Amino acid sequence: MATRKTGRKFDKVLVANRGEIAVRIIQGLREMGLGTVAVYSEVDRTALHVLMADEAVFIGPSPAAESYLVGDKILAAARETGAGAIHPGYGFLSENGPFSRQVEEAGLVFIGPTAESMEVMGDKLASRRKMRSSGVTVVPGTDEAVTDPEVAIGIAEGIGYPVLLKASAGGGGKGMRIVRKSGDMASALRQTMGEAGSAFGNDAIFVEKYIENPKHIEVQVLGDGQGNAIHLFERECSVQRRHQKVIEESPSPSLTPELREKICAAAVQTAAAIDYRGAGTVEFILAPNGEFYFLEMNTRLQVEHPVTEMVTGTDLVHAMVKIALGEGICYRQEDLRQQGWALEFRLYAEDPSRNFAPSIGRIESMTIPQGPGVRLDLGVYEGFDVPIHYDPMLAKLIVWGEDREQAIARSRRVLGEFTLHGPVHNLPFHQWALEQPAFIDGSYTTHFVEDEFDPADWLPELDAGQAEALVAATALFEALRRSGQATEEKNVDCAAGNWRRNALRSMTGNK
Amino acid sequence: MLMKKRYILNYDDNQYGAVVAQDGAETMVQVDDGDMTPVNFRPVLNGKAISIRFGGRLHLIHLTNAGGNGSVQATIGGRPVSLTVMDELRAQALESLGDTVGSGTICADIPGLVVQIKVSKGQIVHKGEPVIVVEAMKMQNELLAAISGTVAEVPVSEGDSVNPGDPLVIIEPEPGV
Repeated sequence: MATRKTGRKFDKVLVANRGEIAVRIIQGLREMGLGTVAVYSEVDRTALHVLMADEAVFIGPSPAAESYLVGDKILAAARETGAGAIHPGYGFLSENGPFSRQVEEAGLVFIGPTAESMEVMGDKLASRRKMRSSGVTVVPGTDEAVTDPEVAIGIAEGIGYPVLLKASAGGGGKGMRIVRKSGDMASALRQTMGEAGSAFGNDAIFVEKYIENPKHIEVQVLGDGQGNAIHLFERECSVQRRHQKVIEESPSPSLTPELREKICAAAVQTAAAIDYRGAGTVEFILAPNGEFYFLEMNTRLQVEHPVTEMVTGTDLVHAMVKIALGEGICYRQEDLRQQGWALEFRLYAEDPSRNFAPSIGRIESMTIPQGPGVRLDLGVYEGFDVPIHYDPMLAKLIVWGEDREQAIARSRRVLGEFTLHGPVHNLPFHQWALEQPAFIDGSYTTHFVEDEFDPADWLPELDAGQAEALVAATALFEALRRSGQATEEKNVDCAAGNWRRNALRSMTGNK
Repeated sequence: MLMKKRYILNYDDNQYGAVVAQDGAETMVQVDDGDMTPVNFRPVLNGKAISIRFGGRLHLIHLTNAGGNGSVQATIGGRPVSLTVMDELRAQALESLGDTVGSGTICADIPGLVVQIKVSKGQIVHKGEPVIVVEAMKMQNELLAAISGTVAEVPVSEGDSVNPGDPLVIIEPEPGV
């Protein structure tokens, strides 16, 4: 597909990512009549995003540090293909200030915020100070790095135990430690600083109040870079394992209309305070007493953006691109409503029984659920080998219902229709979650998985009929394999040939 | 011509016996002490799944071999199941070796990189003690000793890439440890 010249600021966009998010962005760009360029590492040569793009550029070996994380290679690929803009997706270079600066200095458009926004929000201490001075409530604690246990104890006694020690440069649940009494402070501080220093190259630690049984609420915002911002309501992301989200929903079952209005206003205030440009997410901790505190801002398109799109009827990729084209924010606050309820289930190649350890392998076969209210953002296809080098997320299943009850009932139906065979995956975990009282009534907190999930006893038992069928089928499978019959089928490499053979077999009634 | 094969299958904590018999065009299956009955099935999806009618229900069961040792991955009704299937002779041979054999060998279960070896040859280890760290998909996984005993061999070095089934640490059970 040739890129049409339209007189816009750019006609072709390079997507500096892989997997489902690269696919999702390419889809949005194509709908807007823009040319698409994919980049790929050695192992991703046949990945879905590469097959979908108008053009694809090889950027090096499989490890991300030698390909997707190398800004110079991405820029060279943009120059080679004449792309006028770069969309970073999430992860990789999406929140890397120097890269964003490098893109703009090369005369290209970075579809995302400025380097300054990323740098303020990427540093937890700097963002706390900025938010406090802008009037947004942050978790009680320090704005300066702490190294002396006596100082830390003084602060902890001021705000009350328990407190959380946190690495300023931290993220992803690393470099955090809960301290419940003064006696534990010295060793906890030493350990956290050590961890932070080795993991992030920066041992600055700050102290904040530890909120017990919190909920994770975040607000989607769009900013025009001129100090104007709107919100697209909240998402709740309290179902987490290893401090990473696995199920998200919008609206949140925990907000009253008054609380929603307040928290969304705080998010808009946050975005406006830094002249935020593009799509971003302001994250809050909601305490059981209804108090909420600024946690951090993610200066990118989030994994869970589809739940917002489903309930607001918007397209965030389109909106980001329009802002980057200089057309401003394409929605008016007063036109936006939350309609119905959306749940997102992240499909990971991981084993819930083994502490959610990642798994890899070939997607041998897959049955995709469809029907009313279903959206699947997919990054793989049948026959694709899930590589070892990247995040093991394969797809996101998003289900919409008229209300939460219908969304849950529909999700049970949809998850029951989804078969993915190959690597171990977490679809059964989602089915488990949908049966838990704390999830059904919406009272779950970020401790949900930790408290409720028992890795030894969660998989539904096969019923007697299934167990017998499984045993019989496996024995037959082994007998066929040994007699060479299954192998014979595999040698036919033409799909049409197989289809005809299977069709003939069923017509003749041959078992 | 009558062909008869007997298999032993394990999944979760269950063990089943199954007999597959072929008599001309007809295939019959017996599960545990049930009757030998003609079974209605068909291999589908290029041999990666079996469609089987059982107890009035039609099941589509996806199946793939997961490396040697008769381990099979199956998906039934969306639920993944790991099984081992072996013919009767092999099952008997393994049984006669006793069940401690092999369990002292810690193997890689996914491809990865050995980042740290925490034990050395001759060292006494206790069940549950971390012995080796393997990195895969940005995560460091600590593998634990499954039995107590003496480290007999560490066939890998730090920095090695390993594949599923590769032995990483071999522990010899020792009475009294």
